[in-house]
Amino acid sequence: MNLAFKDVRRHVARYLGTAAGVGLLLTVVVAMQGIYAGMVDDAILLTRAMRADLWVVQRETRGPFAESSKLDPSIEARAAAVPGVRAARAYTYQLIQRDHRGSVLRIALVGIGWPDDTGSGLPLIRGRAIAQPHGEIIVDASLGLEVGDTLELARESYRVVGLTRNALTSGGDSVAFLTLADSLLVAADQPPEALALERQRVAERIRHTDLGRGQPALEDLALDPAWRAPAVSSPPVAAVLVNVDPHRIEEVRGTLSRWGDVSVYSQAEEEQLLLSGVVERARMQIGLFTIILTLTATVIVMMVIYNLTLEKTHDLAILKLMGAPAARLLGLVVQEAWLLGGLGYAFAFTLGSVAYPMFPRRVVITDTISYAAPMVTLAVVSLASLLGLWHVQRVDPGRALEG
Amino acid sequence: MEYSVAATGLRKTFGSGPSEVVALDDVSLSLVPGTVSALLGPSGAGKSTLVKALGLVSLPEAGKIVFEGQTVVRDGVALTDLGRLRRLHLGFVFQKANLVSFLTARENVEVACELGGRTDGRQRARELLEYLDVRHRESAFPETLSGGEQQRVAIARALANEPSLILADEPTAALDSVRSRAVMELLRRVAHERGAAVLVVTHDHRALDVFDVLHEMEDGRLARRH
Repeated sequence: MNLAFKDVRRHVARYLGTAAGVGLLLTVVVAMQGIYAGMVDDAILLTRAMRADLWVVQRETRGPFAESSKLDPSIEARAAAVPGVRAARAYTYQLIQRDHRGSVLRIALVGIGWPDDTGSGLPLIRGRAIAQPHGEIIVDASLGLEVGDTLELARESYRVVGLTRNALTSGGDSVAFLTLADSLLVAADQPPEALALERQRVAERIRHTDLGRGQPALEDLALDPAWRAPAVSSPPVAAVLVNVDPHRIEEVRGTLSRWGDVSVYSQAEEEQLLLSGVVERARMQIGLFTIILTLTATVIVMMVIYNLTLEKTHDLAILKLMGAPAARLLGLVVQEAWLLGGLGYAFAFTLGSVAYPMFPRRVVITDTISYAAPMVTLAVVSLASLLGLWHVQRVDPGRALEG
Repeated sequence: MEYSVAATGLRKTFGSGPSEVVALDDVSLSLVPGTVSALLGPSGAGKSTLVKALGLVSLPEAGKIVFEGQTVVRDGVALTDLGRLRRLHLGFVFQKANLVSFLTARENVEVACELGGRTDGRQRARELLEYLDVRHRESAFPETLSGGEQQRVAIARALANEPSLILADEPTAALDSVRSRAVMELLRRVAHERGAAVLVVTHDHRALDVFDVLHEMEDGRLARRH
């Protein structure tokens, strides 16, 4: 006869309620680990989706994700001319926030080197890659947009042509991909008043130069709203992504590294920079939070099991008086603790599968988490049963005779 | 004469110094198989302490307990596995709340059979419940049983492993006079039919005619034997 099962059967409602409480704690513990795994996954996915062999960024920066990086756009052409380079494309990365149909969209805009890169390598779930140089955008499904929707950016309309899944930054912002030219337009976007003032300043500078005095038409040109280039300088790019002949990566890297205005990272180094920089602090934060939460869960489960055991003191005394071996009574407590953990885990698993997709941050349940969660649960409930076991040992069978 | 249990010179004290209380003072008692004995006496006389000592739950500091011819306790020292002895040779009946609350009537008896190493626990439990006329309540939990039904189940449990000694500590304390007498007669029947020695602690003087032997305790001493 399994005494643990009999006891649970007698108090099944309360036991299930307790298991649900344990399950809620486990849901949170697993969610914390899942959120961290999601951050790592997002960070790696964003860099890998760019399919670059080398990342060229501003000298002595760890950009473009870990910190701001500004490169002169001409570096794209310079890099492309290096022997061994198959392709070089500028890369921009900027965070914007826009109102859209009454809600606020926070978007990480990534400029891709169209037409060499159309976004076909992205994890598209609907729609297509970018097919024209201007006015098309691929967005992550988490933004809530559909293929065919339009997005207003820099006083231009961009039609959503493709949807990705899980293209998020390590900060959890949804990523949108558009051509490099379009991303530069968005980056250079200024209100009309600012542009008019800038033109006036350019005209003023021209007026006081020999060139301006010699060519008065230049001043008129500077004030012409259709002539934008001189008023707004070419915005910098965040990085230049370089694809190299496979056997010449180190050679190309050596060449690029000798340039005084850039730093060069491999794909793996860029991932590591992102993980060790942006994600590392979150990892420590989440790690500490998880430890505290796990300890809290242990203490709570311990008190729950202890109280369940305390309530059985008289029954335990009767069983001891009847000569029940200690191992059988200890087994009663341990088996109930394990069952509590098992039910709690099942509850957490069920709740998590429903709730995690609704979390604002992506929760990724990795294999490690899948294997570790039940083991940690087992360890927690086993540890938590110690107090109950101690009480069982202390129960005096003589108490049964006291009525 | 062969005794189920024979206790000689038992002494048990609580506290120390000026606050020391002598609960058992040189108590000697022998119980014969097939007889039902009453242990009478006022509260604080030491009856429960003696039952605990004979039940091998709380050992006396001095004296000897012989169980079916084998000395099992001498001067506060257990000479054998007392838990095993309790499982196999002892049955207990208490005054109230004496069934395991999360087990049904049948399971309360069945678990005792299991602890005694029997493999026919379920069948044996049903037979005993039938014998004690409470089989129809076998699936009920203790809290839904009447006081009389609980005591019948408790007696059934006490009989589970055909013990040579049954100790009953005020088994009728929570019962009315009719049920109280019924339980006492049941214990007498058990003693006579099953050959066990039964010792019943009781304050109830209305059913003393049921007992074969009366022992009376006073201030930790066994005062009289009738």
